[in-house]
Amino acid sequence: MSVPPPADAVRLERVSKTYGGDHPVTALVDVDVRFRRGTMTAVMGASGSGKSTLLNCAAGLDRPTSGRVMIGAADLSTMSEKRLTELRRDRIGFVFQAFNLVGALTVEQNILLPSRLAGRRPDPAWLAEVIDRVGLGHRLGHRPAQLSGGQQQRVAIARALVARPEVIFCDEPTGALDSRTAAEVLALLRSAVDATGQTVIMVTHDPVAASYADRVIRLADGRIASDMPQPGVRVIAEQLATPAGGRRPVADREG
Amino acid sequence: MLGLAARMIRHRKGDFVATFIALAAGVMVLTVCGMLAESALWYRGEPERYSAAFAVVARHDITVQGPEVFGERETTTVPLPERGSLPEALVRDVAAVPGVATAVADRTISTAVAAAPGEPVSGHGWASAALAPYTVVSGAPPRGDDEVAVDERLAVAGRLRPGAATTVIAGGAVQRVRVSGVVKAPGARGQERALFFTDAQAARLSPRPGRVDAIGVILDKGADRAAVTAAVERLAKRAGATVYTGDDRGLAERPEAAAAKRLVLEAGGAFGGYAALIIGFAVAATVGLSVRHRRRDFALLRAIAATPGQVRALVLGEVGLLVLLAGAAGVPSGVLAAFWIRDQSATRGFVPEDFALTGGFLAVPAAVAGVAAVALPSAWIAARRTTRIRPTEALGEAAVEPALGGRVRLVSGLALLGCAVALIGLTGVTGGQTALGAAVAMLYTFVLAVALLAPWINRAAAVALAPALRTVFGDSGHLAAANLRANARGMVAVLTALVLSVGFGGTVWFLQDNLERQTVIQSREGTLAQHALVGAAGLPAAAAEQARRIPGVLAATGVRRTTVIVPFLGEATTAVAQGVDPQGASRTMDLKVKAGRLDDLGPGTVAVSSAQADSAGWKIGGRARLRLGDGTPVDLKVVAVYERGLGFGDVTLDNRTLAGHTAAGVDDHVLVRSAPGADVRPALERLAAAYPGGAVTGTDRFTGAPATDLAVGSWLNRLLVAVLVGYAALAAANTLIMAALARARELSLLRLLGMTRRQVRRMANAEQTALLGVALAIGVAIAAVALSAVVDAVVGQPVPHVPAQGWAAVIGGAVALALVSTAVPIRLLLRTPPVEGMGIRE
Repeated sequence: MSVPPPADAVRLERVSKTYGGDHPVTALVDVDVRFRRGTMTAVMGASGSGKSTLLNCAAGLDRPTSGRVMIGAADLSTMSEKRLTELRRDRIGFVFQAFNLVGALTVEQNILLPSRLAGRRPDPAWLAEVIDRVGLGHRLGHRPAQLSGGQQQRVAIARALVARPEVIFCDEPTGALDSRTAAEVLALLRSAVDATGQTVIMVTHDPVAASYADRVIRLADGRIASDMPQPGVRVIAEQLATPAGGRRPVADREG
Repeated sequence: MLGLAARMIRHRKGDFVATFIALAAGVMVLTVCGMLAESALWYRGEPERYSAAFAVVARHDITVQGPEVFGERETTTVPLPERGSLPEALVRDVAAVPGVATAVADRTISTAVAAAPGEPVSGHGWASAALAPYTVVSGAPPRGDDEVAVDERLAVAGRLRPGAATTVIAGGAVQRVRVSGVVKAPGARGQERALFFTDAQAARLSPRPGRVDAIGVILDKGADRAAVTAAVERLAKRAGATVYTGDDRGLAERPEAAAAKRLVLEAGGAFGGYAALIIGFAVAATVGLSVRHRRRDFALLRAIAATPGQVRALVLGEVGLLVLLAGAAGVPSGVLAAFWIRDQSATRGFVPEDFALTGGFLAVPAAVAGVAAVALPSAWIAARRTTRIRPTEALGEAAVEPALGGRVRLVSGLALLGCAVALIGLTGVTGGQTALGAAVAMLYTFVLAVALLAPWINRAAAVALAPALRTVFGDSGHLAAANLRANARGMVAVLTALVLSVGFGGTVWFLQDNLERQTVIQSREGTLAQHALVGAAGLPAAAAEQARRIPGVLAATGVRRTTVIVPFLGEATTAVAQGVDPQGASRTMDLKVKAGRLDDLGPGTVAVSSAQADSAGWKIGGRARLRLGDGTPVDLKVVAVYERGLGFGDVTLDNRTLAGHTAAGVDDHVLVRSAPGADVRPALERLAAAYPGGAVTGTDRFTGAPATDLAVGSWLNRLLVAVLVGYAALAAANTLIMAALARARELSLLRLLGMTRRQVRRMANAEQTALLGVALAIGVAIAAVALSAVVDAVVGQPVPHVPAQGWAAVIGGAVALALVSTAVPIRLLLRTPPVEGMGIRE
């Protein structure tokens, strides 16, 4: 492959998503967005704004009703379920809010699960570095139930990093954590971007979490309401408190 | 993937215990079936009297031509209940085959010896002693008509020495004989003791003049075995006989060995088939439930790494490993159970004492492989559901409860229900075997329809019962109704298992009750005679004649029990029959004649039960074509149709028609009716004393000895029902316990919201009552319809008899099941403080 990798890690082109049923719900409307390599983006918005749908579509967990999703040079819309899984395994990492780990497996087995399902042996030097970076070297034989919430999230991040994915998707990664633990987890994600040039896309409603990102996208009613470089916790919080596109300033809020 | 599967099993033992138990019980049942069938396959009986013969020619079964279907003629091979016989001329033909040194005619004569009345004895001609060979231990071979040589064991039992005199009854004649010698065969371990007459005397005593029972072939030295076998087979084929060589000679010597072999093979096969069916069903249910409980795990696997195929492979791997574990647990218990069943069968006389279990080198691997062959496809079907798990489910809290079921399931369920209802009509308008077949088909169709429609039945029951639950259980009942509706799909296995247990088990179990009861009732009500005369080796026809001459005796009837071969749906089957001495028979037995007269019975005519007339299509005044127990075809005029077929046999013949066509050739008992007030007992006892083992019994304690195949069928059927019901109850309990234990979070939440423990228990009780109540109601309804149809067809009574213990067992079983499988787990869950319970991951 002589073609140089595109500068965009993930690209959504005119993506719409409607959930069927008797009363169809439109979750995304004609969303166009690009995520550059080596950046960290926070996707925010009120409940029902479509931020989770955006993440699901971008990560190939769900298929858009119309439009196109590209991960690097790969077009997700034409892929079979099996190819999609293989793509997720090789090029996408996930960190969810909770229930991230398979309870039957130890920390090490959880970290190695994607490589194992892909039938590959990970680079041992890289594996050692990742484990060292998340600081779980002494916990490798433990089971998820024996870990705290923050430790569980760090295992999930290690699992995401081991495959050196194109992009790591995080869905409220700190949603179930206290603020100190949350800060550790976010710092870990940030360092993945800064030190190894990873791309991170994170859905969150927490302004503090969003402040670790390079860029903040705010969704409202399935459309992008604002898209700006990270302006600081205070501005993010104010933006959030405002109804879609509104100008009414509300009391300063943090947390 | 297997390593991951093993870890999953180790980590979530609770989810796999149910599947494991279902599989282990399955391996156990199949091991038993397999071991019995394998042993039967190798079982040949042991040749004793024929051990020195190279080959034995005999006729133990008959092949009946059926109707032509699509240009192919169907044939059925039926064992001859009274053994076939061969023409004497065949002995000379076989002897003439080059390479044959001698061809020895063997006649088996039913014999009893007064000196040893308890010993099973069979009489033969002296020439056949060479086939064992028997050698003279002391004394000499029999030379005159009144001389016999006896087996050493018989000599010991009867204290018979050469020169001793005793009375024997043989071929229906009583005679005094002198023991000429004591003989012994190497390795004679079987039950039957041989007694040898001279050949001329044996030919006279044989109930089949001009015929022989078997021909033993002894070879010249250096004869070409293959050529002799081929030549003898050609000759045998013309007489409809079979040539038995090698170990098969045991089958020729003892037809009951062949019958046992056939019985065990059939029973093992039928059992195995049912077991496989129900294992598949139980495994699919438990695997489906364990998959449902682990939806989030699977969704996570799907999201991060696993293709749908890999998740299915994981589920299959889990079940595969469980099959191996189940094999380790199920095989030893199965082997033990097989030995127990063998002993029970031998004690009951269903199989000969020498029926031995083989090592199971075929059966054990086959049982494990069979369970795997049933379990893996069932697991595959359950695992296909995981494909529908969206990876996005890993992200959210909500697990979506699956829809009730597909349109195909609904439509086929309704279609089957329609068929079942149509079959009710069919059983109503037909009778006999046809109705029986239709009723069994109806039973299966009903159960299958309920299994398919179970989700909708559960849902409908939840909706319909909601007001009642609310009234009885209050708010807890309200919640229970909501839970039942939401879990309609999850409880499908419970409904199906219970309906299967109650519907199927109830019908078969109580059918046996009804048949046995009816047999006894018919026999008791239909027997007008007060006394019955019996003898160890039967009674000659003269006994009835002598009894008639006793003053005060109104009528005496000699009765022979036999079995005949009757047409059934273009094939052949056997029917229990009795031969009677028609003179005064209508005064000793009341067959409840519907049409015609029993007094018209004679040579060339027959009386049949209405059930038999229905299934064979015979009419009063018409012809009945059937075969006697030795395969001889007869064409008889139907002179009477009667009701009491169960008590007296479905076919009643004149003893003269049977003469020469039964193995024993004697009456089994003589029914004696005396005038009111006349004391004929001392005279009868004097008469009985003249026959070895003779005795007089009152007919009030004489049940007409229900046919042994009924007893065998009854025991096997009950065992089958017990195993099936046990297994189905196990499957239901498994499902309930799994479902109950998976509710830790839900119950904790309810308690945090303010529900008391008592209210939670009431809720669980309300759910149980509704679920089990509906299952019981449907099961009982199906059993009632099927049972009445069958009992009406076979017995002629529309309302079946169900003993009170029967009801108690059904209802008590259901309540016990509910207690063990739900009340106890819920009670355990309620011990966990609710806050802790909330933390438990689903």
